[in-house]
Amino acid sequence: MNARRIAIVAKKELSGLSSEKTIVFAILLQVFIAMFSSFLMVGLTAMYDPEAIEGYSTVTYGVGYAGADSALIDEFEKRDDLVLHRMDLDVALAALRDRAVAAVVYAPDTLPDAEEPVTITLYLIQNDLQSSVINVKVKEVLQGYEKELREVRADRMTSFPVGLNFPESGGGENFFEFVYGLLIPLLVLLPAIVSAALIIDLITEEYQRQTLETLISTPVTFAEMVWGKVAACEILVPVQAGAWLLLLGFNGIAVENAAAILLHASAGGLFLILLGALVALYYRERTSAQFIFSTALVVVFLLVMAVPYNPLNLMVRLAVGTAGPVHWLILALVAGATALLGWATTTYARRIGETAPPAR
Amino acid sequence: MSLASSIRTIAVWEMNRSMTTMGRNVLPLAAGLLVLLVLVTAFAAQSGVHMQDGMYRIGIDDPDVARIVAPDSRFAAYLDSSQALWENRFAYDIVILNGEVYAADTDKGRAALKTLERDYESYVSRVAAGEPDLFAAYPLWIDLQYVKSEIDFLATQSGQQVGTPANARVPPTPSGPVEAVTLPPSAMPVSEDDLREHLAETGNDHPFKRYTGIVSGDSATDRFRTPSELSPPLPFDAIILVFVFIFPLYFTSQFFMMSVMNERVGRAGEALLSAPIQSTAIVVGKALPYFTIMILISAAITLVAGAPLTILLPLIPVILFFLANALIIGMAARSFKELSFVSIFFSTLATSYLFFPTVFANTHVISIISPLTLVVLEIQGDGFTVMQYLYSTVLFFATSIILFYAGITNFREERLFSEKPLTSRLADFVSGGIGRDHPHLSLFLLAGFTIPFVFMAQMLTLVLFFNIPMPLSLVLLTVSAAFIEEFAKSIGLYAAARERPGFLTPKNLLLGAIAIGLGFLAGEKLLLFATLAQITESIFGSILFLSLQVLWMPLLLHIAGVLITGGFLLLWGRQGYGPGLAVASVVHSLYNLHFLSGVLL
Repeated sequence: MNARRIAIVAKKELSGLSSEKTIVFAILLQVFIAMFSSFLMVGLTAMYDPEAIEGYSTVTYGVGYAGADSALIDEFEKRDDLVLHRMDLDVALAALRDRAVAAVVYAPDTLPDAEEPVTITLYLIQNDLQSSVINVKVKEVLQGYEKELREVRADRMTSFPVGLNFPESGGGENFFEFVYGLLIPLLVLLPAIVSAALIIDLITEEYQRQTLETLISTPVTFAEMVWGKVAACEILVPVQAGAWLLLLGFNGIAVENAAAILLHASAGGLFLILLGALVALYYRERTSAQFIFSTALVVVFLLVMAVPYNPLNLMVRLAVGTAGPVHWLILALVAGATALLGWATTTYARRIGETAPPAR
Repeated sequence: MSLASSIRTIAVWEMNRSMTTMGRNVLPLAAGLLVLLVLVTAFAAQSGVHMQDGMYRIGIDDPDVARIVAPDSRFAAYLDSSQALWENRFAYDIVILNGEVYAADTDKGRAALKTLERDYESYVSRVAAGEPDLFAAYPLWIDLQYVKSEIDFLATQSGQQVGTPANARVPPTPSGPVEAVTLPPSAMPVSEDDLREHLAETGNDHPFKRYTGIVSGDSATDRFRTPSELSPPLPFDAIILVFVFIFPLYFTSQFFMMSVMNERVGRAGEALLSAPIQSTAIVVGKALPYFTIMILISAAITLVAGAPLTILLPLIPVILFFLANALIIGMAARSFKELSFVSIFFSTLATSYLFFPTVFANTHVISIISPLTLVVLEIQGDGFTVMQYLYSTVLFFATSIILFYAGITNFREERLFSEKPLTSRLADFVSGGIGRDHPHLSLFLLAGFTIPFVFMAQMLTLVLFFNIPMPLSLVLLTVSAAFIEEFAKSIGLYAAARERPGFLTPKNLLLGAIAIGLGFLAGEKLLLFATLAQITESIFGSILFLSLQVLWMPLLLHIAGVLITGGFLLLWGRQGYGPGLAVASVVHSLYNLHFLSGVLL
């Protein structure tokens, strides 16, 4: 193994990437995603935690109220972002269809201390952003009413929860948990997956285009050729992941311990790349290799996620600054596993190189 | 050999070949991985997802309180004396002392507080669920009913945005007729035991859990919820459909893409090309197995999800579209890595085209431009009309047919085995469609054929821009629409000039421009009258399709646009193409804005 020759192969692959302008597509893709970033931010956060959408709304909503009088009316009056209009149910529903009100509440004439429950009917517009916002607001009102009803019926209860006094949270939802707990680890992981798919393309292409003979006839050995390709793909991992972290930084999302996160990403990325390289060396054909690799990726990913203190979790902890020194231990473990895989790749590549010339 | 029988031969051959290259080696390992996948899934289901473990530090002085946060792995809890906790309070995101919660005044502290509040809610629910008198613990139940309301472009145009309400202070008066409704009964129709069971099931809700029930639908007990169970309806549940229906289709189309690419690698397809079979038979025969598999996959998913089989109808054009693009990408990519990147890029675009409009399903008529919306409607049980089917699928059918046609005409040795870069290969494909004998007729037809693509691109911009506040949305739409049209009109001329530099003479430019202008107008007219009436009636439609009002003005505009780009090409060669396109777009936008100012004022 000669480091200089590996570097030459890596450089050749990288210049091939940039001359083919495939990098341009990757950049275009990232810009395309960034174009929707506000949409994605709102949309993805809403998917992760629908109650977060409420934070976007500063408007006052009209709510139709029909049916019997109840303490619910007083609960509604405590809020300044909801205006109650008393009306008949049929008129209220027609108004809802016209979007003249945002929701309609129908209260039955059940007494607060009755044996049976109070069943409120809540009408909302189907599958609508506004309904999601109004839902959260009405939920808070209804929870207040539920608390009141519980107090009325308290003598029928037997056990009581431990009381906690919460400070005023001020309402405004933030993206914190979504951004740090999901977005950052996924964005950092993405370049690793892309690079692993890339190594399969690079290796199978040599086989399928039968360009290996020309490569092997140079002083470069087969193992060096494989490692050169691996190196080219590995370099892209921290570069791309770092670019994402920088972009997040520009958007005001400060990430702690960025260097340690990149180390974890590089180690995990190298593991995936070597896995891809082994699969590609075994199959020597892109369709099969990509198919097996993507299935294997799902297995690895699920397994990793199910283990406590997994690298993705450590990235989250590092990003929010709650990781202890234990993350170095995990990094060492991942590096060890990667080294093992690297050794396997080298041996396998050497064996293939000795039985060369490769025939299809 | 007749066309049908040679298609069959190729299809059988394709099946056999992909089975032998894939089958022997891949199947054992794939089966092994599948077993592993099942095992790992079981392990993951038991162990849970450990992505956000220990995000927050919480300091607690009471073991009883610590039990509240114990089930939530996001909290790393530290038990200590009140004194010690207070002294180190800045090391924690939350400190709980004597039942009082103190949160750090940071984003993280606030997020931790929100999480703690929810944990506390579910703790209170757990305590209440054990009560002998259920209706004392849960005195209030909500029956959630959804009402349909769809607005159209005229509403967005008059300033109403999807998602923001009308003035709430004014007592509302419905404009339409008021239908009589029966009042909901005050008695609870579901038995107490059923409700208890329902509470136990939904006790611990994970954010991802809500997605699993979307395709299968809700039962009667699920209709009744306690206030804390009331989670907002998902505005984006269509994303689930993307995952469930579109990804498997996209994944399968990859195999077709690879099969096309494999014909080109090392000139493997030479024997096939030299056989006395038409290229139509080769392409259709190769695509047929994948088409069948994709239909079968969709049908299987539909049956598993328990959805009506009619949702296959809107999926057919999507399948064709994926296959057509797979064909072109497989024919155009120079190397495997280019194939990967281009196909990722394409899938992102296609997914957004399919997905973004469905966000507005049941809300706005724009949603109908995506066939996926029809799937949403069908699953909801609303169904769709023939007209709606036409609206949303005609562009997919048209573009797929045109792409397949382009693929078939270019499925020849000199195109398949050339080593040129991606863009010039695509230009070759276009010029392959321009006949030497009747270049102007070809340009006319080519301009007409670009219309479905232009509409698709413009639809995408419409989806992105229509809900932005009014003047900005118009300007963005105008400029992007002008650029897309000018680009589409220029590609024929550009390809012809590239292939045959002598072709571009002033006389030919003028004739070509007129041919392109006429072709563009004809295509536009033809497609517009068939579809999209709802969009063309709105102001957004009048930007995209100005040509509806008068005939000769847009014709002149189209011709002038081509002349500008062509003139730049003529004077400065291919370096002049970019600037020429820019100038033509500016002129086009100015013309549109001029017309719009008439509409707006």
